[in-house]
Amino acid sequence: MRSRGSALPSVSSLEEAAAVLQAANNEGRGLRIGRDVTTDGLDRVLEHEAGDLTCTVESGLRLSALNAALALEGQRLSLDPPGDPTIGALLSENVSGPLRHRFGAPRDLVLGVTLVLADGTIASAGGKVVKNVAGYDLSRLVCGSRGRLALIARASFRLHPLPQSQRTLVVATDDAAETVAVLFGSRLEPSALDVLHPGRVAVRFEGSETAVDAQVATAQALVAGNEGDEEIWAESRRRQQEARRTTRFAPGELRDILERLPEAVVRPSAGVAYTATGIQPTSSEPQSPPSAEALHRLEERILRAFDPKGTLRE
Amino acid sequence: MGIDASFVDGLRSALGQQHVITEPEQLRVYECDGLTGHRALPQLVALPGTTEEVQTVVRACYGARVPFVARGAGTGLSGGATPMAGGAVISLTRMNQILEIDLESGRIVVQPGVANLDVTRAVAADGYFYAPDPSSQQVCTIGGNVAENSGGAHCLKHGFTVHHVTGATLVLPEGDTVELGGKALDPDGMDLLGVVVGSEGTLGIVTEVTLRILRVPETVRTLLAGFETTDAAGAAVSGIVSTGILPSAIEMMDRLTIEAAERSTAPGYPAGAGAVLLVELDGVAAQVEEDAAEVERICLEFGAFELRVAADEVARALLWKGRKSAFAAMGRIATDYYVQDGVVPRTKLPEVLRRIEELSEEYGLRVGNVFHAGDGNLHPLVLYDSGQGETERARELAEAILEACLEAGGSLTGEHGVGMDKACSMPRMFSERDLAVFTRLRDAFDPEGLCNPGKVVPTPRLCGEVPGPYRAHALERIGVAERL
Repeated sequence: MRSRGSALPSVSSLEEAAAVLQAANNEGRGLRIGRDVTTDGLDRVLEHEAGDLTCTVESGLRLSALNAALALEGQRLSLDPPGDPTIGALLSENVSGPLRHRFGAPRDLVLGVTLVLADGTIASAGGKVVKNVAGYDLSRLVCGSRGRLALIARASFRLHPLPQSQRTLVVATDDAAETVAVLFGSRLEPSALDVLHPGRVAVRFEGSETAVDAQVATAQALVAGNEGDEEIWAESRRRQQEARRTTRFAPGELRDILERLPEAVVRPSAGVAYTATGIQPTSSEPQSPPSAEALHRLEERILRAFDPKGTLRE
Repeated sequence: MGIDASFVDGLRSALGQQHVITEPEQLRVYECDGLTGHRALPQLVALPGTTEEVQTVVRACYGARVPFVARGAGTGLSGGATPMAGGAVISLTRMNQILEIDLESGRIVVQPGVANLDVTRAVAADGYFYAPDPSSQQVCTIGGNVAENSGGAHCLKHGFTVHHVTGATLVLPEGDTVELGGKALDPDGMDLLGVVVGSEGTLGIVTEVTLRILRVPETVRTLLAGFETTDAAGAAVSGIVSTGILPSAIEMMDRLTIEAAERSTAPGYPAGAGAVLLVELDGVAAQVEEDAAEVERICLEFGAFELRVAADEVARALLWKGRKSAFAAMGRIATDYYVQDGVVPRTKLPEVLRRIEELSEEYGLRVGNVFHAGDGNLHPLVLYDSGQGETERARELAEAILEACLEAGGSLTGEHGVGMDKACSMPRMFSERDLAVFTRLRDAFDPEGLCNPGKVVPTPRLCGEVPGPYRAHALERIGVAERL
């Protein structure tokens, strides 16, 4: 077991992870994954099958390191969340960035996982092939679980080819909802579409050079706008990271949401707005109280099933 | 306990006399799904019309400890809707309403009994479609699609059912209702929707589903290429994918399935072809045209001796005709067939196809291959004659084919589900520990084990104590050698 600087234990194998969790579990000690124990030592790309557009990696690997390795074969994991999370954090937070628009969140690209449960049980679910419906999809279940179900030790992902070409269009507008509606109503296929509220809509097109140029030209004919660059996506991710509140809404209610929020980074197709201010708009999708209670009970039951002693903490 | 007169009366007064079936001859309709080899007679079939009525039936079953299974159109191929003898079937066919079309949000809210194709039909005039397209899409229901995480020919680009369900109302096995997700994506917390989709009706009953609908692409281009061998066609598939092109579908048929298709629907595929490849591209016109030219070039490079491009919708339908009716066409060349649903990493396709050929010779039974080549999902059709006592041999051959898929790092099932059919094969893909964790999850949803028991996870009662050779899960196997 490696220790880096501080006294944080960093596990570097499945067996070590199992031993650390099991010890805490036996001693009745709470454990926060990523804080009390890290997976920094689990940082290998175990398999990259370029011909299959899949890879299997250990969870302590940083997304940037994975994408650097994949780029050697002209491929990428199509996720661009703020910061540079480890694969484990990426999944347990189910965090995505502007590419969410076309490629989905981590839960959409994960194919399988190997988990270490609080009692030291090592278990896998899913697989390493892009199509598979055998067994319960625990690789999706752990997405967003914030480290409370299990330690994610390994994961397999679906990959995409690096685009030959990419261009960004920035539309300055005081009616972003209209710009978005026009783009959604077109047959364009952007890879990313964010509203940097107030005032701008950013759209990214990826593909072959001619196809990207054709899409940009079509988009400009529809909504005008000027050529942008990476800076606007960096701004989008930065504001997302600094956001204190996440608001979810039906994508068709974009106009209402924009009117209620003084500023936000909004990903309209996902129906998500990230805001720095603490203003709480009324949720457009309220849960009925009995359903919310039943949901809470169900989540508690699942947590207890995976971690009966409540060893894993957020 | 169990289904007695008061149980039946209770449901009849809640649902209406005609919506509770107990007459044996009427119950027979429900004794199996598309996996006709497994049959059991339920004691009762309930046809609820609302979420509340589903809750009523589930609560009654829970109270009397009656096992139950939800059922849509019954087109599943793995026995996911096979009833338990003496149990209840909850048929959702009455819940067939489209509740809301929200084009601005790109969402549609439907009841589970709505047929897959009816979703697209409801929004087609507005220029939208629902992407997952299982072959049975004319009749199979959204509820069944959610249970099985259904795919289809076009999921290569557009994804599976799980990528298109954004929300669901779920009646839990004890009768409570929860709302999962909504029209927005990625709700906080563990991804319950992601695990419920594809859980084969074992974690509850979905009574309302919110789906993503997509804009109809600007251009669709369909190409058909004839090759001498499946090896050559397989190499072309790898060639296409490795250039970075992502077609919406890549389908392959081998000599035997081509022969069957010609005898049945006569699609007029290239004469003498050992394999045909059907490639469909969709998206923005500029990209599709460029990719189509590249696909043609690659097919020729890998030895395609004939290429056809569909110029219009009629020509496109003709190219697809043989593929879509391939299973049914087998009836022209064999009395019985058994279809498998294994998956292999795409790069292993040629080697696994050769292995299937060897196995076919070894067992003395013909195997037709029709499959989703782009994602490595094989549908080997084992042909046999039950009248000649070949049934058992066919099953063994099918098992051996699955074994070959797993050996190559693949999966037992790509889209048909585990159900009853493959529950006993699960230990070939998952370790005992993996399966024990599956059971922990299932018990959290269904502590009494009443919701579609006997499916997905093997039980000793069903499979015996030692179900097949054990191997570590594909993910766990990776990298083990280098650590030793």
